[in-house]
Amino acid sequence: MATPARSATIPWDTAVELSGVWKVFSRVQRAERPSELLRSLVRPRVQEIHALRGIDLRVQKGEIVAYAGPNGAGKSTTVKLLAGLLTPDRGTVRALGMDPVHERRRYVGRIGVVFGQRTELWWDHPVWASFEWKRVVWDVPVERYDRMLDFARSVLGLEEFFNAPARELSLGQKMRAELGLALLHEPEILFLDEPTLGLDVLAKRNVLTFIKDLNREHQVTVMVTSHDMSDLEQLAGRIVMIHQGQIAFDGDFDRLRRGVADRRRLSIETETAGPAPDLPGASLVESSGARHEYVFDATRVKLTTLLEAAASQVNVRDVETHRAPIDDVIADIYEEWTRSGNSQRPSAATQ
Amino acid sequence: MRVLKLWRLYAWMDLTWILQDPITAVTYFISDLFVNLTLVVGALLLAERFDGIGSWSRDQVVFMLGYAILVRGIVDGIFGFNIAFISRRIGRGQLDHVLIQPQSFWLALLVDGFTPFSGLTATLPGLVLMVLAGQRLSIEVSPGWLGLFGANVLGSLGVILAFSFLWGSLAFWSPRGAEEISSSAMRMIDQLKPFPLDGVAPLLLGGLLTVVPAGFVAWYPVRALLGIAAPLPTGLVTPAAALGFLALTILVYRKGMRHYGYTGSQRYHSMGHRR
Repeated sequence: MATPARSATIPWDTAVELSGVWKVFSRVQRAERPSELLRSLVRPRVQEIHALRGIDLRVQKGEIVAYAGPNGAGKSTTVKLLAGLLTPDRGTVRALGMDPVHERRRYVGRIGVVFGQRTELWWDHPVWASFEWKRVVWDVPVERYDRMLDFARSVLGLEEFFNAPARELSLGQKMRAELGLALLHEPEILFLDEPTLGLDVLAKRNVLTFIKDLNREHQVTVMVTSHDMSDLEQLAGRIVMIHQGQIAFDGDFDRLRRGVADRRRLSIETETAGPAPDLPGASLVESSGARHEYVFDATRVKLTTLLEAAASQVNVRDVETHRAPIDDVIADIYEEWTRSGNSQRPSAATQ
Repeated sequence: MRVLKLWRLYAWMDLTWILQDPITAVTYFISDLFVNLTLVVGALLLAERFDGIGSWSRDQVVFMLGYAILVRGIVDGIFGFNIAFISRRIGRGQLDHVLIQPQSFWLALLVDGFTPFSGLTATLPGLVLMVLAGQRLSIEVSPGWLGLFGANVLGSLGVILAFSFLWGSLAFWSPRGAEEISSSAMRMIDQLKPFPLDGVAPLLLGGLLTVVPAGFVAWYPVRALLGIAAPLPTGLVTPAAALGFLALTILVYRKGMRHYGYTGSQRYHSMGHRR
């Protein structure tokens, strides 16, 4: 991993900088045995959970950064720190040259936050009423409000449900409204925590397109977390992966794939149905009639070698090859992390 | 002024909510009215049956009940959406919604629950009871009396909020365990507020003016307003007590907020901070 150098002053093009950030939470452990109940009342067992362990991260203005990691890795904690909702135990958090906690009022006027599982919409009011509420509370100038509302309406298609009460919106419509609401004051940074959670394919595509348009047309810096890696790959040029409170990878998706293994899928269709040919270096995943599917690591085995091996055993009618989905790659990384234990970072993913 | 601008916004939202769904609104009004009347009906029946309670005449008791309902109505009307029941917001992780607004936290608490039209369910009946009883008692409404009345209403309001926030602050340290503690505190006040406390043993009375300050919600201010005790200095005690309680509450609440800044909330429930 390329660790960003720390600096006393933040360059003008830096949107977000975390330097040596630690965040530790305490959790009281419940007594397991009845005999321990009384003792735990007097002296409770407290477990320390290290959500973040010395995170160093810098995000440039105008970047879209995917922030990923397994459950409990520290993603939401980072977003809360950057939104000014949490104070770091150690280290510094700066965004737009400000301390998100101590300069909260000024700072939150320049950022937008969307939590996929929370809503800023007024439940029993039409969507437009929430927008009006935001305009007044955020003190958005009328010109900016009109301009951003036009943009949100055109890109997010808010028109179809702008007059409907928020409680009657579908999940996809709700998220579109949340995104529109979040950018009304024209934030310079948008923090999105699981914005595609529970959305169907079409709604997801709309949301992803919108975020890309927003970044391109308004140069908004976007930091997005999601469990859906293909979403993140479509959206972001850079992925930061966090594992047990530490940054385990920081780079682009191609580098991430190469770091683990360049997993490919190979489908071979033979002239006649029969047993699958034996391809050294490739694992058979599925075989049905004349169609056989393998996975292989393109950094170790050449495709031509596999095809030659297949051609020497059967009459090949058609061949198809494609990269493994990013979700498989990430699943491999998580699996490796689990295997490599709690205290170690995986060598394959660490660049 | 920003407070007025925001109050106007929230009042407009409250009104549009009532107008766009009148059936729900009427149901809400009626049920809320019953709840507020039920809180004082015990004292009302006692006063009716025995032509007063202790040294208080029936009309004096009715005036006090009207005052108590009015104050509760103002609490509901200004500090709706669980601002008055602050432990719910803290315990449910909803303070984050306030913290991402670019305005002072205290200003947000002052305006975020402003629902003057929904709050009318208690304010209006309270006023009606006070006016009716006041006519029978032949109260002389002078500017001085009105000033004293306003100061005492604000004082009672301050005492109620301080009590709810003081207990509610526990939710910073125990979000799940103390989520409902503000509502328990308010319930305790509601149950004790409708009774004249003259003749109560000094120790108990002290408790009802400090530990559970229900005495300041209606009884003590009304003594001054009805001339049962000398208007001055009696009429200044409730506002002064409110300032004391609020100062203590702000101290504890700020401590809780600092703790929240380090721990955040590990829970989240969307219910209650938006209608």
